[in-house]
Amino acid sequence: MSVYDIVIAGSGSVGVPLSYFCAKKGLKVLVLDREASWGRGQNRAAIGGLRATFSDPAKIRICTESLAIVSHFKEEHGIDIEWRQGGYLFVAYDEEKEKAFRDLLKVQHAAGLDIDWVGADRVASLAPGINRNGLRGGTFSPGDGYASTLKTNTAFHKLALEEGVDFRFGEEIVGLDMEGRRVRRMRTVKGAYEAGLFVDAAGAQAAAIAAMAGADIPVHPDCHEAGVTEPVERFLEPMLVDIRTDDESGSYYFYQAETGQIVFCITPSPQIWSTDIDNTSWFLPRCARRMLELYPRLANLKVRRTWRGMYPMTPDGQPIVGYAREAENFLLAVGMCGQGFMLGSGLGKILSEVIVDGKRDSILDQLTLYRKFEGMEMLK
Amino acid sequence: MIGLEGDTIASALVSNGVARFSLHIKGSAPQGIFCANGQCSQCAVLVDGLSRKACVTSLAAGMDVRTISGLPRLSERDEAFSGSPTRRLIVDVLIVGGGPAGLGAAKELGALGLKVALADDKARLGGKLLLQTHKFFGSEADCYAGRRGFDIATELESQVRAQPNVSIFTNSPVIGVFKDGVAGIYEDNRSYLLVSFKALLVAAGAREKSLVFPGNDLPGVYGAGAFQTLVNRDRVKAADRVLIVGSGNVGLIAAYHALQAGIEVAGIVEIADKINGYKVHADKIRRMGVPIYLSTTIVSAEGEGKVERATVASVGKDWKPLLDTARTFEVDTVLVATGLSSCDELYRQAVSFGLLAVKAGDADEIAEASSALFGGRIAAFALARTMGRKVEVDSSWIQKRDILKSRPGNRVTRENVTPGEGWMPVLFCDEEIPCNPCTTVCPTASISLSGRKGNLLDLPYYKGTDSKGCAACIACAACVCACPGLAISLVRALDSDWCEVVLPYEFDASRFEPGSKRMLFDKEGAELEEAELLSKVFNKKYRCWALHFKVSSPNAAKAIGLRVQAPEATACLPQPLFTYAPDEAIVCRCERIRFGEIVSYIKGNEVRDVNQLKSIRAGMGACGSKTCGPLYAAAFRAAGVDPGTVQEARLRPLAVEVPLGTLGDIVAKGGAK
Repeated sequence: MSVYDIVIAGSGSVGVPLSYFCAKKGLKVLVLDREASWGRGQNRAAIGGLRATFSDPAKIRICTESLAIVSHFKEEHGIDIEWRQGGYLFVAYDEEKEKAFRDLLKVQHAAGLDIDWVGADRVASLAPGINRNGLRGGTFSPGDGYASTLKTNTAFHKLALEEGVDFRFGEEIVGLDMEGRRVRRMRTVKGAYEAGLFVDAAGAQAAAIAAMAGADIPVHPDCHEAGVTEPVERFLEPMLVDIRTDDESGSYYFYQAETGQIVFCITPSPQIWSTDIDNTSWFLPRCARRMLELYPRLANLKVRRTWRGMYPMTPDGQPIVGYAREAENFLLAVGMCGQGFMLGSGLGKILSEVIVDGKRDSILDQLTLYRKFEGMEMLK
Repeated sequence: MIGLEGDTIASALVSNGVARFSLHIKGSAPQGIFCANGQCSQCAVLVDGLSRKACVTSLAAGMDVRTISGLPRLSERDEAFSGSPTRRLIVDVLIVGGGPAGLGAAKELGALGLKVALADDKARLGGKLLLQTHKFFGSEADCYAGRRGFDIATELESQVRAQPNVSIFTNSPVIGVFKDGVAGIYEDNRSYLLVSFKALLVAAGAREKSLVFPGNDLPGVYGAGAFQTLVNRDRVKAADRVLIVGSGNVGLIAAYHALQAGIEVAGIVEIADKINGYKVHADKIRRMGVPIYLSTTIVSAEGEGKVERATVASVGKDWKPLLDTARTFEVDTVLVATGLSSCDELYRQAVSFGLLAVKAGDADEIAEASSALFGGRIAAFALARTMGRKVEVDSSWIQKRDILKSRPGNRVTRENVTPGEGWMPVLFCDEEIPCNPCTTVCPTASISLSGRKGNLLDLPYYKGTDSKGCAACIACAACVCACPGLAISLVRALDSDWCEVVLPYEFDASRFEPGSKRMLFDKEGAELEEAELLSKVFNKKYRCWALHFKVSSPNAAKAIGLRVQAPEATACLPQPLFTYAPDEAIVCRCERIRFGEIVSYIKGNEVRDVNQLKSIRAGMGACGSKTCGPLYAAAFRAAGVDPGTVQEARLRPLAVEVPLGTLGDIVAKGGAK
């Protein structure tokens, strides 16, 4: 039997940075994952956008932290995670969207975020070749950007290894041994692990593990497909987001990675509630069509690969972070709603301060499992 | 530069002496062809502003072809968006690949009345048959043995085209299979077609394995199959002198094809201590003047922007090169012939999605094309049965498929032949392989298989004078000209000192003058004697000369070949000239990731999952890890990790890159839609 200070279920966008920050503070940390290696749940499927420009204070706080970590990663750790501060650009082609964006700006400015309305000319200069027909402008946040999710997770894994974190892969979690309201051991197909604290950072599998602790959490994955093109010389800086919908799809977004590829993703409509990660024939023609309407020039770019992943959704589009009432040493860091990558590193740092330094943090109150799950964040 | 319309851009460039097609973004490394088969993406060039594989893009008038230097610019051509719905086709069976297996399957499924679509990524059907200018082994009755591959392709294609319920798509790679039982086809490399199928039959053939050695991505290092494509299909004299790595049938045949095309062969190196292909092939090549170096490997290919020399060395028991045995050959081309791997990704993808799928031919198991013919038909019947058709697979087909793909059997020592007054054939093959044209072409039925095993693997023997019902040899030389191994002669004694010997010669003998003398060689390529040419006859059916020589009696039954290339072609430099840097070898060609880099990444990050190599971009290129995939096991082993404990890479579409404009149904330039 191995005894740890903390056992983290899930070696993804949330679990790996958390393990690093905790080990750096001196904890003995174990990370368990059913996959063969780190980041093979939904991190591998994430496209890599990173912004702080939300409307909710908890998310703004966490992502501001993430941005600080990711944008300074190379200087601090000497590892290139392909961060690029290209900004986010939400485009508006109708009055309704323009109004919504402008209304949101008031909230965002109040939160001190660097984001503003830009006119059609500025949009066209940020995104040369964009369809100007009906283009009204958009909101642009130059401080946001994107990085390689794979490289970032790999970098945190490497740093964690150097801090002495144990990783055990190929270990599906099968149960929790409870003692009263405490978790004593986490059992996997291969062994049992004792610790003072257990963290559920299991992404799309989070609900199953929380249930082992008796906690019923409203985290339900839905499926999204994404793709990447061949690389070309840089022509586009910002992440482009189009929140319009049509009869088969919702918003879609894409950016040009540091290495030149366009990485793209679309939300199917209606949402597909499932853990299915197999590719469908629907995705490419639909997503290509939406992208070409917005950006005809992309017709000349070849698609290289496509894949499918999940957004572990909550009813209000906000993560669930905090302790479960059913088990006092069982911490939830779940329901990232498709934003595990952008939330993960900041959340890891904040939670390590909560766990190790005993700091109180308002995000635990704001993102508690016991909040009322009302509404849905605009521009989730 | 001048190229022929319809030729691939790759062949047109090579025929103009261009080895370097583009410069890689990493280190401006020169890039040329590697597979010439649409599998890797090393031959990419800019065609009308889009990067395209030169090996599968046909040259057309007015086309703008440019070198890619670093990252290409996104073309600023903005075309109007058409928005018409994606075209769809519904079939019973989608066959991927129109080689021997796919054509065999299409013919059978079509005859059963099933609705079939057959998609092939090349302009012409036939697959690898189109590259095969040599005579086939196997059985003449069952699989066209003794005939040449391209002739067989034409016949098979016409049989399939006669089926009204088989739709054929050429130049149309299948880019992916999707969960919903639909495949995406890049039709005519121009538009997107979604094909719904009840069953998928993958007969996509095989691709050549890449090999890890320093300089392995220099222009001029390419697959033996690529060489056959350039030389045999596209009639390009692709090289002046080649070195071949690998002594399997592919390597051996490549040497033969090189000689046919007037290209010198410095030698064949084989890391194992024995020849991997048919012995009769190897003997044929040796007689022609090509040395085969066993227990030898390539240690480097070097040159300024393209291959100028290659260095080989003997290997020790651990298969590591012994550098003090190094020899450098001045060659402009290194042919990699170290084996093939099945193109079965679409099959595996379909199976992982729970779809009905079978595979056949090389996509199933690497073997001879003759075996693939049966494999395709068997797979078709198996599929038809699963789909509820009351059909039985002819059990003899399974037998034939299995025999035709069997590895060589026993070596047999033949008794010495003593020439007599009457003509008789001397058979030189001494290893059991599936082959019998000599028995079927003989008009007097005087040659038959030994009957030891009772199948095609048995060796043929001349029974003419001592068996009942057989007439004696009539010296027609049909067996001499039909034997794919060029391993049959005819002899008769002229007097007590001299014999007349008939030898096959597949090269140009039109200028051989009767009365002139030629050096003759024994089976393994040792010199026998200079012999006088008495007469010559060209056999049109087998496109082979029968040369009559006057040979001294002791050598008469030993002589079987003539030298084709001069010994100078095989000379090495007086001193080896190379640098040894095995860690520099490229594993992932698309992203130019080196062996040493991968090994140190595996060690430094405790990697046990091939998917993680993407962190250093290994396998992230245009080819979709098709070329580097089989090489990662060696990197894990070098890092001290048992490859058996490593998670395999997850398959994802696309098999071939397709423009967003095509997927979104925008008409590509020149499109007719």
